[in-house]
Amino acid sequence: MTQVTMIVNGDSRTASVPPETTLLMLLREHFNLTGAKLGCDVGDCGACTVIVDGKPVNACLMLAVQAEGRSVLTIEGLATQNELHPIQKAFEDQASLQCGFCGPGVILSAKALLDNIPDPSKQEIRDALSGNLCRCTGYTKMIEAIQESARVLRGGSADQAV
Amino acid sequence: MRAFEYVVARDSAQAMALLAEHGSSVKILAGGTDLLVELKSASHGPQVIVDISRAEDMKKISLTGEGLSIGALATHSEIMDSQLIRDMFPALVDAAHTIGAVQTRNLGTLGGNLVTCVPSMDSGPTLIALEALVTIAGAEGRRQMPLTDFFVGPRKTILKPTELLVDIIIPKKNLGKPVHFLKSGLRKGQALALVNVAASLWVDKNTFLEPRIALGAVAPVVMRATQAEAYLAGRAVTPEAMMEAGRIAAGEARPITDFRASAEYRRDLIAVLTKRALENAVLLAQAKLKGVKK
Ligand SMILES: Cc1cc2nc3c(=O)[nH]c(=O)nc-3n(C[C@H](O)[C@H](O)[C@H](O)COP(=O)(O)OP(=O)(O)OC[C@H]3O[C@@H](n4cnc5c(N)ncnc54)[C@H](O)[C@@H]3O)c2cc1C
Repeated sequence: MTQVTMIVNGDSRTASVPPETTLLMLLREHFNLTGAKLGCDVGDCGACTVIVDGKPVNACLMLAVQAEGRSVLTIEGLATQNELHPIQKAFEDQASLQCGFCGPGVILSAKALLDNIPDPSKQEIRDALSGNLCRCTGYTKMIEAIQESARVLRGGSADQAV
Repeated sequence: MRAFEYVVARDSAQAMALLAEHGSSVKILAGGTDLLVELKSASHGPQVIVDISRAEDMKKISLTGEGLSIGALATHSEIMDSQLIRDMFPALVDAAHTIGAVQTRNLGTLGGNLVTCVPSMDSGPTLIALEALVTIAGAEGRRQMPLTDFFVGPRKTILKPTELLVDIIIPKKNLGKPVHFLKSGLRKGQALALVNVAASLWVDKNTFLEPRIALGAVAPVVMRATQAEAYLAGRAVTPEAMMEAGRIAAGEARPITDFRASAEYRRDLIAVLTKRALENAVLLAQAKLKGVKK
């Protein structure tokens, strides 16, 4: 067993896990954060995308111990009790998801993009989503929602705390 | 995944010590994008994992007396973000950009890509076209060799399990050499190369000087198209010469047929991509010449 401590959605969390535990399993099984999904488990589908120290990664391809001391943001860390994050709000407004399995990963990829590029081109959005596979709704409405939320976030009217 | 013991190295010296201590049942972990995928389906795994992903001294990208040095632990994203590389070798940025998707590029390292040594690796061709060297640290100290000697076969390099790839060096004489990289896959994102090509060259008095052509995914390891290079060297820069070089390169390669594409299709791709990579490198070279004259 190895003890790991990291910041998860702003709070310090500690767990004792076998070294072969992936970050995804730590989040889902130990911290009960089931927003990040177990999809392909080999880095292709992006359903397990979380943001580690500002960068989107596949939680299935990172050992939990590798996140020691780092800051992890999962989909659970985006909304507040009262309000969705502007990206989530835009996805809801535009009906950008259908089954929703890819949603947490897609939204976190979008968040990481907009944190770096507040006014991305369509091509930049497509590039940012190329590691997130959606098999039902398609990408058109996601891209529209990301453009819409980018506008809201640039306006500074919405919550930018996260 | 099978159980293993996990140790973490803060720098390359500590990594070497840990590798020596744990001997042959050890495996090095960098970004994990190849290793963890492999371990998840493996029937048995290493007893000890040495995590080098926090070895800060192996992340540096800098100009040294030898040339441009890229630490083995630089991630594909860090290569794309490096101002030094963007200014000097946009082709390395292009190559890194074609690897997987954002998530993979944020974890995956240049060193890991070279050590995994699949024929379709996207960072190989540009480095080979620039005659890159690698530095290896082992029990007897450090040694350097051309990247072409580092690759031994599919998924096989010259490294011993307890040796570390430290950095990749583009030699001084090739700093700023015009080079272009092209990849063709079935999609833009999350697709391995059917063929990838890099060409580097200088242009002097409208003739080719030191042309280098590297081809990936069409032989057991990334290869130099030496016959095509010999054909171009000293020849006048014309569209016909570049087309012929593409044809020669296609003849030199040994592509296979698999579920992604047939060998014939890959040969056609080599001819076209080689020609285009040469054309683009020539444009860069000519732009440079104009810049000098001004
Ligand atoms: C979804 C997905 C898509 C991908 N797409 C592409 C693609 O389009 N093109 C492409 O080329 N690759 C692709 N890859 C492969 C992979 O991402 C790259 O090869 C990556 O660069 C590997 O680096 P890593 O740091 O993750 O290596 P790791 O997985 O940590 O290690 C890989 C191997 O190298 C060894 N190793 C690592 N660093 C060192 C070192 N410094 N010294 C000695 N040994 C070392 C390890 O022991 C292991 O055997 C993809 C992978 C995934 C999961």
